[in-house]
Amino acid sequence: MKHFYNIVKKEVAELVTKQLIISLVFMVLFFVSMGKITKSVEEGSKEIRISILNLDVNPYLQNILSIANKQGIQIDFVESKDVKSAIKEAREQKSNILLVLPDGFSTKVGKMEKVEIEIYSIMNGLSMQEAISSKVIESIIETLNNSITTSFIQKEMPDKKPEDILNPIHTKNFVILKEKTIPGDAGVLSALVMSQSMMIPLVIMMVIMYTGMLVMTSMGTEKENKTLETLLTLPVKREYIIAGKMVGSAVVGFLMTVIYMVGFKYYMSPFTSSPEMSTSLKDLGLFITPFGYVLLGISLFLAIIAALSMCIILGVFAQDTKSAMTMTYPIMLVVFIPFFLSMFKDIETLPLSLRILVYAIPFTHPMIASKSLIFHDYRMVLFGIAYMIVFVVIAMWIAVRLFNTDKVLTAKFSVKWKK
Amino acid sequence: MEQAIEVNNLVKSYGKIEAVKGISFNVQTGEIFGLIGPNGAGKTTSLRIISTLLQVTSGSVKVFGCDVSKKAPEIRKMISYLPEEAGAYKNLSGKAYLEFIAGFYSDNTMIKKGMEIAQLGERIKDKVSTYSKGMTRKLLVARALMMSPKLAILDEPTSGLDVVNSKGIREIIKDFVKSGTTILLSSHNMLEIEFLCDRIALINNGMIVETGTPQELKAKHNVNNIEEVFLKAIV
Repeated sequence: MKHFYNIVKKEVAELVTKQLIISLVFMVLFFVSMGKITKSVEEGSKEIRISILNLDVNPYLQNILSIANKQGIQIDFVESKDVKSAIKEAREQKSNILLVLPDGFSTKVGKMEKVEIEIYSIMNGLSMQEAISSKVIESIIETLNNSITTSFIQKEMPDKKPEDILNPIHTKNFVILKEKTIPGDAGVLSALVMSQSMMIPLVIMMVIMYTGMLVMTSMGTEKENKTLETLLTLPVKREYIIAGKMVGSAVVGFLMTVIYMVGFKYYMSPFTSSPEMSTSLKDLGLFITPFGYVLLGISLFLAIIAALSMCIILGVFAQDTKSAMTMTYPIMLVVFIPFFLSMFKDIETLPLSLRILVYAIPFTHPMIASKSLIFHDYRMVLFGIAYMIVFVVIAMWIAVRLFNTDKVLTAKFSVKWKK
Repeated sequence: MEQAIEVNNLVKSYGKIEAVKGISFNVQTGEIFGLIGPNGAGKTTSLRIISTLLQVTSGSVKVFGCDVSKKAPEIRKMISYLPEEAGAYKNLSGKAYLEFIAGFYSDNTMIKKGMEIAQLGERIKDKVSTYSKGMTRKLLVARALMMSPKLAILDEPTSGLDVVNSKGIREIIKDFVKSGTTILLSSHNMLEIEFLCDRIALINNGMIVETGTPQELKAKHNVNNIEEVFLKAIV
């Protein structure tokens, strides 16, 4: 074990270079600053000022003011009596919107006649923030329309409930999913499950990409710097060299993934779902049990080992760091296939031939495991674990065989072009 | 006297190319044996086979009685190999590199010994990436000798070193033999070969063409130095 630890320590020291630290710091700073920008846009949308040009003696003005007040919008009145000057005044008041309430507005509303109000959106650019301000005014108008209609119904039909007249049809949705009937909307449910299970394939993809890239870099660097020959003549088992490289890369790869995901989570925080969403999934019995998490952990661990052993095998054929990096592309490709499929498609609905092909990729199994585990379907997860064990044993056997022969020094990957 | 190395009809092929074509030679314990020859003659391939890096196509190689094809792990405990174009881990300091190598042996005093051989002073604490070619070579020679191996296989040990440093390394190699280490050496520097080696084998086109002490070979070809022996026997 002393020899193994010695190799792991060396691998970590060799992989954690200044360049790696700088690129990680840069990545985290990028995500944090992007997150801050997104947050500031969100917060900016709340800082909306509305100017009102009131050409009417308007009893409904109080309604508008109270609605705006509830939404945290600041209202200013303009003193001008024509639109052109009012726009100029609204600009000076740094308003985003100018509302023009025409003469006779209250009378027409009182008679339930159609009335037109002019809305001028004052745009300083074409950013997301500007679009959000116009959405805010739309929601104010909608609320105002509801308030006018409701008060009319209450006045004219005091024995009726306004909401029953406005929305006479009510729906109660159920989703039938695999043998289970769940109350709820299919779209909402699928969005909920997606939000729960999206992060796991993303983490798996990142871990596999980073660890695979690192172990390939390690092999390429050993060959480029001519250190492999010395390492192979030292009194250490070749199995320890392979395991040391894999564990060293996995440690650094995990660290990189954690840093990446922290930054990514900060960036994604304005878009992520509200806490009550996950509570409702739990209410529906759609959650991963502690046993499920254990299975997911085993599945993820085996997928990483599979990726590392595949990379070690490919790394044997690398001549230097550059060729090692090129050889990571096939691995990346087989990681992307299940990742994107698991995002947009249920793999079980694919044609049989394609399904077999996708299931043959070991990384598919932890990616689909999270969805299966939410539905407490352990059959496919256990099959995936069994398959990955077989895959890992074979891949490791090949890797050890290669390291115990001179192929580790002499093997080359080359493409011969016919002249 | 125990044979340190026994090579019998060794053949090594890379696909259709036969790099070594049935060579045989022995190295006695405690001697410095030189393997010399032109580029592509099969020297490095032979050294790599003895170092357990490459597999034998046919024939046999024994190191202290252990067959390289059957007892490679045992052989690795007794030998130390310095390849011609070796490098060290660039992100480690010179000292950390020696510590890493020492981690595979039970003797912790070898780090101090390695630092003495390397003679890098305070620079031993700097990263290998900041070293000159000569400094890296000194570190690698120190790495190869610090564990006092039973057999040191040195491929161009003074490659990239200046005259002063080369002389220093040669003195160290001579001293190591006194303490019981056997040396198998390959070099293009004929002065170095003549100064260091007790016996020499000349290899050309994958075959041994001459074996003997420097004196025997000079007398046989009636020349004054090994360089002339080399030219007469090989060219």
